[in-house]
Amino acid sequence: MTVTISKKIKKQQKKAELAKQAAKKLAKRHRQEKNFRRIGLAAVLMGMLFLVILFTDIISKGYTAFMQTQIQLTIDFDSNRIAKNIAKNKETDGETLYNGNYRKLVSDALYAKFPDVTKRKDKKLLRSIISTSAQYYLRDLAVTKIDTDSRANDSNDLQRNIAIGSGKSAADAESPSAVQYQINSQYVGQKQDIWVIADDLFDMFHKGFYTAEGAESERLIKDNYVTWYNKLLAEGNIRTVFNFDFFTNTDSTNAELAGIWGAMKGSFYVLLVTLLLSFPIGVGAAIYLEEFAPKNRWTDLIEVNINNLAAVPSIVFGLLGLAVFLNFFGLPRSAPIVGGIVLSLMTLPTIIISSRASLKSVPPSIKDAALGVGASKMQTITHHTLPLALPGMLTGTIIGMAQALGETAPLLMIGMIAFVMSVPTGIFDNATVMPVQIFLWSDLPARGFMVKTSAAIMVLLAFLITMNAIAVILRKRFERRW
Amino acid sequence: MTSNTQQENDHQSIAARMINNENFKTIGDISAKKPRMVCKNVNVHYGDFHAIKNLSIEIGKNEVVAFIGPSGCGKSTFLRTLNRMNDTIDICKVSGSIELDGVNIYDKSIDVVELRANVGMVFQKPNPFPKSIYENVIYGAKIHGLVKSKADMDELVEKSLRKASLWSEVKDQLHKPGTGLSGGQQQRLCIARAIAISPEIILMDEPCSALDPISTAKIEELISELQQNYTIVIVTHSMQQAARVSNRTAYFHLGKLVEVGNTDDIFNIPKHKLTEDYITGRFG
Amino acid sequence: MSAIQPFANSYLFLLLIVISAAGYFLSTRRAVRSVAGNTSQLHSLPKYFGSYTAILIFCPAALLFFVWSASQNSIILNLLVEQLPPSVFEQANFNLNLFLNKVKNLTFNAVPTSDEAVIAAAQTYVNYHNTSGWLMFAAVLGLALLCFVIAYNQLAPQFRARNRVEFLIKCFLIICSIIAIMTTLGIVTSVLFESFNFFTLVPVTDFLFGTQWAPGPTEHAKYGAIPLFAGTMLITLIAMLVAVPIGLLAAIYLAEYASSRVRSITKPLLEILAGIPTVVYGFFAAITVAPFIREMGESVGLDVASESALAAGAVMGIMIIPFISSLSDDVINAVPQSLRDGSYGLGATKSETIKKVILPAALPGIVGAVLLALSRAIGETMIVVMAAGLAANLTANPLDNVTTVTVQIVTALVGDQAFESAQTLVAFALGLVLFIVTLILNVIALIVVRKYREQYD
Repeated sequence: MTVTISKKIKKQQKKAELAKQAAKKLAKRHRQEKNFRRIGLAAVLMGMLFLVILFTDIISKGYTAFMQTQIQLTIDFDSNRIAKNIAKNKETDGETLYNGNYRKLVSDALYAKFPDVTKRKDKKLLRSIISTSAQYYLRDLAVTKIDTDSRANDSNDLQRNIAIGSGKSAADAESPSAVQYQINSQYVGQKQDIWVIADDLFDMFHKGFYTAEGAESERLIKDNYVTWYNKLLAEGNIRTVFNFDFFTNTDSTNAELAGIWGAMKGSFYVLLVTLLLSFPIGVGAAIYLEEFAPKNRWTDLIEVNINNLAAVPSIVFGLLGLAVFLNFFGLPRSAPIVGGIVLSLMTLPTIIISSRASLKSVPPSIKDAALGVGASKMQTITHHTLPLALPGMLTGTIIGMAQALGETAPLLMIGMIAFVMSVPTGIFDNATVMPVQIFLWSDLPARGFMVKTSAAIMVLLAFLITMNAIAVILRKRFERRW
Repeated sequence: MTSNTQQENDHQSIAARMINNENFKTIGDISAKKPRMVCKNVNVHYGDFHAIKNLSIEIGKNEVVAFIGPSGCGKSTFLRTLNRMNDTIDICKVSGSIELDGVNIYDKSIDVVELRANVGMVFQKPNPFPKSIYENVIYGAKIHGLVKSKADMDELVEKSLRKASLWSEVKDQLHKPGTGLSGGQQQRLCIARAIAISPEIILMDEPCSALDPISTAKIEELISELQQNYTIVIVTHSMQQAARVSNRTAYFHLGKLVEVGNTDDIFNIPKHKLTEDYITGRFG
Repeated sequence: MSAIQPFANSYLFLLLIVISAAGYFLSTRRAVRSVAGNTSQLHSLPKYFGSYTAILIFCPAALLFFVWSASQNSIILNLLVEQLPPSVFEQANFNLNLFLNKVKNLTFNAVPTSDEAVIAAAQTYVNYHNTSGWLMFAAVLGLALLCFVIAYNQLAPQFRARNRVEFLIKCFLIICSIIAIMTTLGIVTSVLFESFNFFTLVPVTDFLFGTQWAPGPTEHAKYGAIPLFAGTMLITLIAMLVAVPIGLLAAIYLAEYASSRVRSITKPLLEILAGIPTVVYGFFAAITVAPFIREMGESVGLDVASESALAAGAVMGIMIIPFISSLSDDVINAVPQSLRDGSYGLGATKSETIKKVILPAALPGIVGAVLLALSRAIGETMIVVMAAGLAANLTANPLDNVTTVTVQIVTALVGDQAFESAQTLVAFALGLVLFIVTLILNVIALIVVRKYREQYD
C-alpha cells in the first residue's frame, strides 16, 4: 500500500514538476517573444531617432543664416570726401562720384564712432566689422547708374566682341552717351544714418557662435572687438533683419554675402533639361517595352539592363558625361545642358520602371474595348491607356526629379564645381547647382559658411519634401481600384 | 469528389478519342442560307497549344449563331479570330481562311482597324471607358471619321442608345461617367458603343455571364431586336440562353466543332454523343 | 560667359515649326478637298494626313539643324587651322590649343588681346561662322521644303496616313527604348576606352595588386589600388553593420508587429531617410558625427583620426537603413500567410514563427536586398568625399583615416590636370572596377529577387 501511495505521490510530484518546468519554459518563451518585439521596436525608433538628430542638427546650425546682422553708421556723404577735386559739371560729376572712394566713407564713420581707436592695427580690425559690400551699397545710394546700352550684354555679336577685344573701338564699347549717372541729392552732401551689413565674424559673434571667454591670445574675438560690440549694442546700432540677400545673391567669397540664387537658378535649368529629356524618352521607352515589344530574350535583356542602370553608382554616370559629352561631343563644361543630359540618363530607369508599372495597372479590358470598336493599337494607347497611366507616370517622374535635384557626384565630374558668381541665364551658361553649392560651402573654413551650408540644406530639403509630397498627393488622388 | 473527377477524366479521354482522329468531320450542315462569313479549315495555335483544330463554318446574314461547349473548348478563341482580336497576343497563330463577303480577313492588305469597325465586339465583362456615357458611344465613330458636326454626334448617340434600349434610362445623364452605371446598363452601353459604328456583324463573348437574371433578360431581348439589322455571333455558357436567342447553334469540344445545326434540332435531337451529353447536363 | 552659342539660330528653329504647322494645315485641307468634303471616303482621319506631312517636314530638318549646330564649331576650327598663315606656327613656344583658345575667347567673350595673328584668325573665324550660319539656314529650309513636296504629293484619298503616322511614332518609341541600352553601352565603352589608355601608362597588375597609392604628376607616382579597395570595404562593412540589423529588425517589426496605423506613419518617415541627398549626409558626417566620435574616442583615451572611417561608415549606414528595411519589408510580406498559419497552428509564438519560418523562407529575398544595399554603399560618393580622408592607408582600424575608390575618382577629375595624364585617367580605371563590381552585385541581386518572387507568385 504505502509503496503504491508513495509511487502515486512521486508520480504526482513528477507531474507537478513537469508542469512547473513547462510553465517555466512557456514563461521563458513569452519573455523571448517580448524581448524580440522590443528589439524590433528599438530598431524602428533608432531609425526615427537618426532622422530627428539629423534634422535638429541641420536646423539648429542653419536657422540663423536666415537672419542678417546689420550695423548702423552715420555716413557723411560729402562729395569731396568721396572724390577729390570734384568738378562743377553735373554730368562728369556723376561719373566721378560714382567711381569715388566709398570705403573711406565707411572707415570715417567708424573712426568717428570710436574716436579712441588710434593704433593702425586696431583701426584695421575696426574696419573689418563692416562687410566689404557696404561701399558698393553706399555708392548705389549716392549715384544711380543707368545703362541704356542694350547691346552691352549681347555676347552674340561676335564682330563687336572682336572689336572690343582688339581694342579698336573701345569708345564704342563704353560710349558715354549709353551710360548715365544720376546723383541722388537725398544722400549726397548729407549726413545720414545708414544700416550696413556686418562682417561675417561680427555676425557670427552676434549670433553666439563665438564666445569671448578664455585667454585673449587663444581666441578669435579680441577684447576691443567685444568693447566695440557692446558699445554698438548698447546704443542700439545693431539689428538683425530677415536675410533676403541669402535668397537673391549668388556665391561669394564673403560668407555674409553668399547666397543661393545662382545655385537655385542653376538647379532649375538642370532640372528643366532633365525633365524635357527624361520624361518623353522614359515614357516612350516604357510604352514600347510594355505595349509593343515582343516578349523574348532581347526584351528580357533590356529589362535586366534597365533595372541594373537604376542601381549603377551615380558617379559612373558622371564618368560617362565627362568622356562622352565633354570630351567627345565637346559640349561646354559646367553648363546645365550637360548636367541635365547626365541626370536624365540617370533618372531614365526610375521613370521607365514606374511608367511601366502604371501602364501595366491599366486593365486589359479597357484596351480590348478600344480595339473592339476598331481603334488602332496606337489610338488605344494615346486615347485610353496613356491618360489612365499618366498620374502614375507623373508620380514616378517627380520622384526621379527629386533624386536628380539632390544629386551631386556626377555633376562634380562634368565641372559644375566651378566658383560661379554670375546668375546663369540659359542652359549653356556656367552654372552650379544647390547640392554642389552645399558641397563647396561645406569645405570652407569660415564659420559663416557652415551656417550657410546648413541653411542651404534646409532650402534644398524643403524643395525635396514639397516634391515628394506632391507625388504622394498625386498618387492618392488618382489612385484607381479596378 | 475523387470518383467524380475520375469519371470526368474518363469522359474527357473518351471524348478525346471520339473526336481527336484525322477523320473526324463536323456533324450537321455548316453552311448558311446567305453566307457572309465563311471559315474554312481554321487552325489556331497558342505557342505549342493547338486551340482550334481544322474548323469550318459559315455565318449567314441576319442570323444569331450561338457557340456553346464546355469551358476551354475554344469557342471564345474562335470568336476572337473572327475580328482578329487575337492579333494582340504575340504567340497566337491563325491559319486557314476566314472570308468576310468573299475577302480573306487575314490577308496582308486588310487593315484590322477597318475589319473591327465592320465586325464589332461585346466582351464578357462590361468594359466601358472611364469616360462619359456620351463619349463612350461616340468614340468609335469619332476615330473612324463617321461624324462631323455636333448635331451628327448627338443624333448618333441617341440612335445607338435607343437601339441598345438604354436611352430612356440615361438620357438625362449622358455626361456622367459610364462606369457609374449598373452592370446590365454598362453592358448595354457597350452594345450601344459597338453598334454606333454600324458594324455588320456583332460578336458577343458571353455578354451576360457577369449579369443578374433581369439584366440578362433585357440583353436577350435586345439581341432578338438587333437580329433584324445585324448578324450576331454569341458565345454562351448557358444552354437556355442559346436556345432562347439563337437560330443556329454550334457545339465546340476540345478545339473542334463537333456539331452544328438549327438551334431547335441541336437541342431536341442532337446527333453526336458528346453534344447530347453536354445538353443533357452529363458534364460541362 | 558662355563660350559657345550653338543654337544662336533659334529663330530658324521657330521658322521650322511654323513651316511644319503650315504643312499640317495644307495637307489636312488637301485631304478634305480631294474627296470634296466627304471625309468618310478617306482612308484615315484628315488630321493624320496633316500630321504625316508635319512630321516629315519637321524631323529630318530638325535633325539636320541639331547636327549642324553641334558640329559646326569643330568643323570651323579645323578649317581655320588649315587657313592659318605659316608665320603663326613659327612663333616661339607655339601651342595650337592655346592659340585657338585665345581666338575663341576673343570671339565669344571679347577677352582683350594684342596678338595680331589672333585677331586676324578671329576675324576669319567669324566669317566662317557667318557663312556656316547662312548655309545652315538654306540647307535646313531646303530640306524642309523638299520633304513637304514629297509628303504633299503622296496624299491621295486612299493613302494610309494613319498607318504611316503610327509607324513613325513607333519608330520614335523604339529609339526611346534603345537609349536605355545605349546608356549602358556608352558607360562600358567610354570607361573601357579611357581605362585602356590608363593601362598603357600603368600596367594592369600594378594597378590591381599594388599596395602603394600615391598619384601625382611625377614619374614616382604609384597607382596601386589595394589600399582604396581595402578602404572601400572597411567603410562599406561599417555601413552594413549599422544598416543590416537596424533595417532588417525594423522591417520585421513593421511587417509583423506594428498596427497598420503605426505602419502608415513610420514607413514614410523612414523613407525620408532615403530621400535625403547624400551631400547632406556628407555634411552631417563631417561636421557633426566625425567630431563627436573623435571626442568620444579621446575621452576613453583612443586616438581617432579627424576623418575616421567609422564616421563615414556609420552615416552611410544610416542612409542605407530605409533601403534595406523597405526591400525586406516587401520580401517578408510576400511570404504566404499559409506558412505563418502552419507555424501558429503548432503553438509557436510570433517571434518563433518569424525566426524559424518566415526568415528562412524570406532569406533569398533578404540576401538580394542586402546585395543591392551593398552595391549602393560601394558606389556612394558624397559621404566619403566629405567625411573620409584622402590618405591611402592600408588598415583595418575603423578609427583610422582611409580613402575609397569613389573619393579617388573625384579627386582625380576635379582639378586642372591634363586629361591625358595617368593622374586623371586612373579615375576611369577605378570607375571600371566600380562598375564591374556593382554590376555583378546588382545582377545577382536581381536574379535572386526575381527567382524569389516567382516562387511565391
